[in-house]
Amino acid sequence: MKALGTLLRTEATVFRRDAMSMTFTFLFPILFILIFGAIMGNTGTGEGSRLGLVVLSGAERAALDAILAESALTVREMANPDELEAAVTANDVDFGAIWDGTALVFAYDVRRTQDNFTFEELARGLASRLDLAIQGRTSLLGVEVETEGGEPEADWLTLVIPGIVAFSVLSAGLFAVAGHLTSMKQRKLLDRLIVTPMRPCALLGAIVGVRLVVVVVSTFLTLGIATLVFGIAYDVSWPHYVAFVITATLGSIGLGAIIALVVRQPSSASSLANVLSMLMMFGSGIYFPVEVMPRFLQAASHAMPLRHMADAARYAVGVMDMSEARFWAICGSLLAGGLVLLPLLARYIVRADRR
Amino acid sequence: MTAILAVARTYVVTACRERETLFWFLVFPLLLLTLLALIFGNIGESGAMTYDIAVVNLDTAPGAAAAAGVVAALGQLSVAEGESRPLFRLHTAAADSDPGTFLAAELDALRIGRRAAVVEIPQGLSASIAAAAHGSVAAELAVRVHKSGGRTSSDMAASIVEDIVAQVDHSLLVRMGLYDEARALRVERLDLGANAETFSYVDFVVPGIAIMGLFVSGLFGVPGTILFGRERKVLRAYWVTPLDVPHYFAGFALGHLAICTIQLVCVWALGRFAFGAHVALFRPLPLLVLLLASVTFLAFGFLVASVARTANGGMALANIVNMPMMFLGGLFYPLGQLPSALRAIMMVNPVTYLGDALRGVTGTAAASFPLGVSLGVAAAWIVVCALVASWRLTWDVGR
Amino acid sequence: MESAALMSVANLVKTYGEVRAVDGVSFSVPRAEVFTLLGPNGAGKTTTLEILEGIREADSGEIEVFGRKLRRVDRATKERMGVLLQEGNFEPYLKVREVLRLFASFFRSARSPNEVLREIALEEKAASLVKTLSGGQKQRLAIGVALINDPELVFLDEPTTGLDPQARRNIWSIVSGLTAAGKTIILTTHYMDEAETLSQTVSIMDHGRLIACGTPRELTSSLGQETIVEFVAGERAAGASEALAASCRSVRNEAGLVSVETDDLVATLRRLLDWSREAGVAVADMVVRQPNLEDVFLSLTGRRLRE
Repeated sequence: MKALGTLLRTEATVFRRDAMSMTFTFLFPILFILIFGAIMGNTGTGEGSRLGLVVLSGAERAALDAILAESALTVREMANPDELEAAVTANDVDFGAIWDGTALVFAYDVRRTQDNFTFEELARGLASRLDLAIQGRTSLLGVEVETEGGEPEADWLTLVIPGIVAFSVLSAGLFAVAGHLTSMKQRKLLDRLIVTPMRPCALLGAIVGVRLVVVVVSTFLTLGIATLVFGIAYDVSWPHYVAFVITATLGSIGLGAIIALVVRQPSSASSLANVLSMLMMFGSGIYFPVEVMPRFLQAASHAMPLRHMADAARYAVGVMDMSEARFWAICGSLLAGGLVLLPLLARYIVRADRR
Repeated sequence: MTAILAVARTYVVTACRERETLFWFLVFPLLLLTLLALIFGNIGESGAMTYDIAVVNLDTAPGAAAAAGVVAALGQLSVAEGESRPLFRLHTAAADSDPGTFLAAELDALRIGRRAAVVEIPQGLSASIAAAAHGSVAAELAVRVHKSGGRTSSDMAASIVEDIVAQVDHSLLVRMGLYDEARALRVERLDLGANAETFSYVDFVVPGIAIMGLFVSGLFGVPGTILFGRERKVLRAYWVTPLDVPHYFAGFALGHLAICTIQLVCVWALGRFAFGAHVALFRPLPLLVLLLASVTFLAFGFLVASVARTANGGMALANIVNMPMMFLGGLFYPLGQLPSALRAIMMVNPVTYLGDALRGVTGTAAASFPLGVSLGVAAAWIVVCALVASWRLTWDVGR
Repeated sequence: MESAALMSVANLVKTYGEVRAVDGVSFSVPRAEVFTLLGPNGAGKTTTLEILEGIREADSGEIEVFGRKLRRVDRATKERMGVLLQEGNFEPYLKVREVLRLFASFFRSARSPNEVLREIALEEKAASLVKTLSGGQKQRLAIGVALINDPELVFLDEPTTGLDPQARRNIWSIVSGLTAAGKTIILTTHYMDEAETLSQTVSIMDHGRLIACGTPRELTSSLGQETIVEFVAGERAAGASEALAASCRSVRNEAGLVSVETDDLVATLRRLLDWSREAGVAVADMVVRQPNLEDVFLSLTGRRLRE
């Protein structure tokens, strides 16, 4: 037991002094959120989208004004189409509308590939309401949208943050093995430790222990900053959250173990881990909806652990609903994966290095 | 071979042989380009999704035209047309089951993600619509679309259903003679942002990736080689020969430029042959911008190397600086309104100006800054970095 | 008129804060010989060498090399010098031949890498990456690099530290060959056997100063006609030391190993055997030998070369 305590303290010190690990685990998620939050803050639901409006002289505009007043758009009036073009391309407005009395022209910045989807939808709504209003009609058949489960007010940022939390847990666990442990093997440190009475389980226990603490702290920090800086209130279910954090860390360590066992050269392990985590970051639907990706990417997305981890994280913080069964299945698989691979990892530690 | 060429050759050869370096300067940009092109290149065409939709029609009174219309319209989209998959997979109640129970069950399924949307047509909808049509007042009832919180697929399905209902509404109005097609509003679309007709996201992103690749090579490659070389006394082995720092630096810079060239060719080739991007990188003005960018980031790398004390500290610093500069450089999407702190970073960031300049001179997008300003900012950065590095950088340990 | 010394230094001083790493060192290096600086770690050998190699500047003192007086070693001098650094490294991802070609390009004239490869016996490894080389092979490559410009003067800073005996012998044979070819070698080491085997002139350094200089034979002879007797007496060593003290120059007891310097070997041995019989102690592992450089250092400083 004493050995384990010493190992824990040593691991903790090594981690603290490793500038790279500290950066990736604590700083990255926070930086990501701050930057992305600021950039993408207002798009997503289309609330508060900015419309640049040009009404050519002589056009009948009462109906249009009434419709715009009802909408949730922020309208900025411009003098002429040139001014509008400048504003759209400079991103001073999100999209534009030119009304000459008979035709409504919507202007978009082509380069805003991710966001135009929302603006086009808003434009369609405007156009159809104006269309009816001109003939003195309102629509007969309307739609009421109700949200079931999850967080009804969730905007893009609220959804992304649990995904970032899941990603930082994945990174911590992944690089603990395919990075830290493999570099120890590479530098023959493991060989030196094996010849002592220390049992590999103790070293593993220390690595896992430190990572668990680190992950708990960093996820708390991340959520805390989200709450403080962006005013997002998460309805966190603590039992689920704790279960998620623990099993996800173990599962990620298991994933790292797979890499370490498969890759021959310890030095390549961290490169492979880098590539995989980057692929998963983009393909797991954390930042961009999976639905817009080509079919094979969608299928691949289902196979990515990060996708399910992100879903579980969203469930734990109350943003999205899923069946209890699925949540525990995810946690269970992560836990199982980790536990199954730990003994193999212990063998990796003691296995003589074949060159 | 002269010393300068030999040093340059060494730089290129070791970069290609060392896995970590190869990853950063080649694999990373190519991978990123591939991912972005695949993900966003398709955004114009609708994704290949089939949404699971439940339709609960409680308005089953005879003559319920509106309800029937909605159901029919949704049904149409659940039929496969030729090769493509249908948009919807419809789930409706069995003939003898209780609609209320069915609704409750479907809402549960919706909540946990097994349905993308549940369309509920309330009882009496058609009647209320008929009443509204005759009385010219707003209908009391509406189609209820239930979506699942926190799921983008649900948002998308719900908005598609909204569009369909709007179409049914339109045809109802026409059929009732309340709407005159001849007077329909003309709606047009105007695409802005230079080269809008031929715009493709890939064209927009290739210059960004090119700049990013140069940035990453300079930021990680330079401190890595210099700092580790210094610590391990690889550099000192040179200083005991007639080779002096200026000659070594010349060879180093030449080798770095060679690496940048290889990288650019690979990025361009991938963009061109895999994703059909047409970006004229190899004309005089773009080449000038690219050369300037290579030198700017080389200088920036030396700045980082001169600020860091140890090799590991240098790499950590590079990692910390990497993210804000890359993402606040407008490489992946245009930067709109930013809070002033972030805007300040963006306006100082050489990546912003170089990316903007490259896009401008290749004609893939309108430049936000005049070319002179962008080139000037880059040149200023080179000067500042060179000054700081020449003052602070030591080429040998323990002098 | 050519002086016999290829290089000489006078009153070299280098201070780091409070510490005088090099404290007024003067010596001259004869042509086509191996000149060794012998001393424990921290004696100032490497600092001295770094000054002579031109990567460190002395606070004061004079250097004369190739017939020119210099304050600081310049580029022209480096053209005619070869250097083996202590704990130096090469780019791990370069091949052996590429390393030699790279360094060859730094000089106005250089030998063919293939020739040098033959001399350092690394022909088989010509196309191997540096990172795959063993310690001994890396060191041979480093010597090859030091010889690539066919220098007249070669600096070897601790060339065999950390190598296995076979590798050490390989290096020694290369070094001997160099003086046969007319090259002048300046070597630093803390290995006594290396200094004795390879060098014509040995300078002993301690705490930044030269405390003795001469051929190995001269230095050991400076201790007079004495002989060294060493034996193991375990717990009774104190008694043995006492018994022998009168008849010898000095007696040293280090944890049961007794070391005796004596002018009269026969008398000392008699006393030892008498004592052994009287005390009933068996004396083990007795060695009778001539003094070596380690003993010289010990007698000059009271410490061993290797702590």
